[in-house]
Amino acid sequence: MNYHILKKDELDGFIKKLSNSMKVVAPVAKDAGNFAFQEVSGASEIALKYIPTILPPKKYFMPPREKMLDFDISGPQPVDKAVLDAPELAVFGVHTCDLAGIQCLNMVFSERPRDYNYLRRKEKIFLIGMECGDYCDDHASCALVNSHMPSGGYDLFFTDLGDRFIVHVNTHKAEEIVEEMGLAKAASADMTALEKIREHKRGAFRNEIGVDPRKLPEMFDKGAKSKVWEDVGHRCVACGNCTNVCPTCYCFDMADTINLDMKTGHRDRTWDSCQFETFAAVAGGENFREERADRQRHRYSRKFKFPLDRFYRFFCTGCGRCTRTCMADISLKDTLKTLAKETV
Amino acid sequence: MIEEIKNSNWKLRKGRIIAAKQMTDAEKWFDIKLDDGELDHEPGQFVQVELYGIGEAPISVCSSPTKRGSFELTVRAAGRLTKAMHALDAGDYVGIRGPFGKPFPVRVMVGNDLLFVAGGLGIAPLRSLIHYVMDNRKDFGKVDILLGCRTPHDMLFGSEISTWQKRLDVNFLCTVDRGAPDWHGNVGLITTLIPGVTIQPERTFAVVVGPPIMYKFVIAELLKKNVPERQIVVSLERHMKCGMGKCGHCQIDHPKNYYCCKDGPTFTYDEVKDAKKL
Amino acid sequence: MNNAPITATKPKVAFFDFACCEGCQLQVANLGEPLLDILGAIDVVEFREVMSEKWDKDYDVAIIEGSITDHHAEERIKKIRARSKVLIAYGACAATGGVNGMKNSFQLDEIRQYVYGKDFKFFDSAKTRPIHQVVKVDYFVNGCPIYPPELVEVLKCALRGLPYTVPDNPVCSECKLNENVCMYDKGVACLGPWTKAGCNSWCVNNGNICYGCRGEVKNPAKNAANDVIGKYNLSSDLIQNKFEMYNKCKEGDTNGKK
Repeated sequence: MNYHILKKDELDGFIKKLSNSMKVVAPVAKDAGNFAFQEVSGASEIALKYIPTILPPKKYFMPPREKMLDFDISGPQPVDKAVLDAPELAVFGVHTCDLAGIQCLNMVFSERPRDYNYLRRKEKIFLIGMECGDYCDDHASCALVNSHMPSGGYDLFFTDLGDRFIVHVNTHKAEEIVEEMGLAKAASADMTALEKIREHKRGAFRNEIGVDPRKLPEMFDKGAKSKVWEDVGHRCVACGNCTNVCPTCYCFDMADTINLDMKTGHRDRTWDSCQFETFAAVAGGENFREERADRQRHRYSRKFKFPLDRFYRFFCTGCGRCTRTCMADISLKDTLKTLAKETV
Repeated sequence: MIEEIKNSNWKLRKGRIIAAKQMTDAEKWFDIKLDDGELDHEPGQFVQVELYGIGEAPISVCSSPTKRGSFELTVRAAGRLTKAMHALDAGDYVGIRGPFGKPFPVRVMVGNDLLFVAGGLGIAPLRSLIHYVMDNRKDFGKVDILLGCRTPHDMLFGSEISTWQKRLDVNFLCTVDRGAPDWHGNVGLITTLIPGVTIQPERTFAVVVGPPIMYKFVIAELLKKNVPERQIVVSLERHMKCGMGKCGHCQIDHPKNYYCCKDGPTFTYDEVKDAKKL
Repeated sequence: MNNAPITATKPKVAFFDFACCEGCQLQVANLGEPLLDILGAIDVVEFREVMSEKWDKDYDVAIIEGSITDHHAEERIKKIRARSKVLIAYGACAATGGVNGMKNSFQLDEIRQYVYGKDFKFFDSAKTRPIHQVVKVDYFVNGCPIYPPELVEVLKCALRGLPYTVPDNPVCSECKLNENVCMYDKGVACLGPWTKAGCNSWCVNNGNICYGCRGEVKNPAKNAANDVIGKYNLSSDLIQNKFEMYNKCKEGDTNGKK
């Protein structure tokens, strides 16, 4: 067991040392109880206790706009060049729900055909997790999908023990950093304190919708025509907030931009949303998911049903962002509860 | 690390248009040669065509892999990219990604009778298979080709089709929704041709490609003739943007949430009958 | 800077204004570096704000600012259209009617009297119309003022003969990517959820609400207004009132056809 101790008053030094070799980002408080991952230069800027950030850390793995190619069409033949912007980066303070989200994306982009733009960027990111001792708020449903406990997907993982953090060292790279920083090994008292926190969590975090998660895929089969989809469809604004903030949504679009010289330009990948009106439309005019009800059901299916067949896990991490951000107050927990009532 | 990206499925191969021809008001045909070799596709697959600075669109390959040296596309001016593509001619370059998608099950179909049903632009992907079968004619049983289009004026590959009509080893029938003064053939929907075709359903593969509205009625006719659901093959239209089963645009409203670009575009009816729309 | 050499084949572009504040012209003049690139690609033949010359031949591209608010303007825009290969309506006044549309909330004579006094009959006036309600428009650049990068994109499309579609997703779709704190979380009503994106949530990025200047999305969520109002405890006519500021001309939308 590779656990070390970082005293809280040493966190600032830890962040500063880390930022000598790479850019460090961490949750930072914004207005009205919101948080966002941003570049930090010291511990005082970091919100150690925070509810999930507006955008999940997927923005570093799969940037909202990512240049894939530069091209030049001035000659007789087009010329193009693949580009990749993958800076060394440390993401500090990632909750277990968001670590689970990154694990999901890793599966998607490493599945063949592989997406090397994603994979190479991921290799450059040093992930430091942070344990939640209690629920962030009522919108979270992490216990349902079992993402409230750490289960890998990080280099270092911090748990707050009051005056100190106990730090789980999970990778060789992390080991080197911990050694370089000279962090002390955790003592048995620290391990006991950690176990106490976990024990508390096992009691505090309870399946939020009261349905056996193994029944979820079946609920979607039976509830394909449920009224609940009509209801959320009536309310949905089709703004795409729910998918943009989702740590596991990865749908994208490709777009070319030409410069004013009309000769050179670039090809970008941008986030897209299955909730947008024309997402499933074809050029001939047919729209295969014209109704908001269908699009919402599609979104939920891509969290609780489809990924089970393909990746053997839920693609909902229970972070609660989609509910928090929904303009029309569509709640993931309520949707699932209603669906369960009709189908279980 | 850039090497891997350069050689990934995002790589744009340079395709030179070696011939182009306006076929109808809406459709233009292109013969494209890749600078770096063969496309190496199978019947029913598609490519992503990139017009630098405008974007990409998925287009079915309409030639058979038995044709070497170049491949053909038939492009309907339907969207931003395809309209711009109509301005291209021999000598112009496009970027090509692919081939992508699950091909028609040509090896499974060997030794069986084939019934091809094409509506409108559906003849384009189906043509890759028809040519393949004609070039390997001895591997297959009886071959029937049914073709439907809106008016005689909309018919694609007209001169080629007249050679199919003359062949003794295929039975070719076509119909138009609306006739014209110089049209002496059938008038009526494509479904009207099916009852007249004699088939042995247990040894027949029916391959149907056309607009979404056509599938419902054609498949109903085929089922009436007792063609097994797993021997009815369709090719579905969706907006494939990445071709790799990731971007999400082509995902089908079906309990299995197929990606049309990877799990399709060809499916057996058995696989996709529960889809909300074909 | 890599300007193309000035040749006789550069497209002739003219800027015209109708009822507006000329703020969009100011945005063009303030473009900075992209402006020099644009000027390298086109030949500006009329632009009242910056030059006094007139052009007596046809225009390759006419760029129109402002709404049509009287009969004289209607005749003038028809003449410009007849001389232009491509016509771009830019700015909310031209593209959607903009704030000028508020005039349509009143009886015409009532508003004429209010503005011109007792001799109002001597002053020509008509219902406010965006350009496309009078003549065919090839490209739209919505917004009050225009979002300069979008104008540049539209110009590139126009010069290449490619269509441009104003994004039809709500402003939220861009606002969220900019990771702004939602205005509703701050207790302020914002029109982002119903307004067409394409401005990169410019106002919210700068601490303002969305005023709906780019016009309502084609298929707004009708019931959602109540949900939003409910979620954030706001008064019910608040959103409707805010919408009147920029969206009053929507009622006359027939896209140039009578």
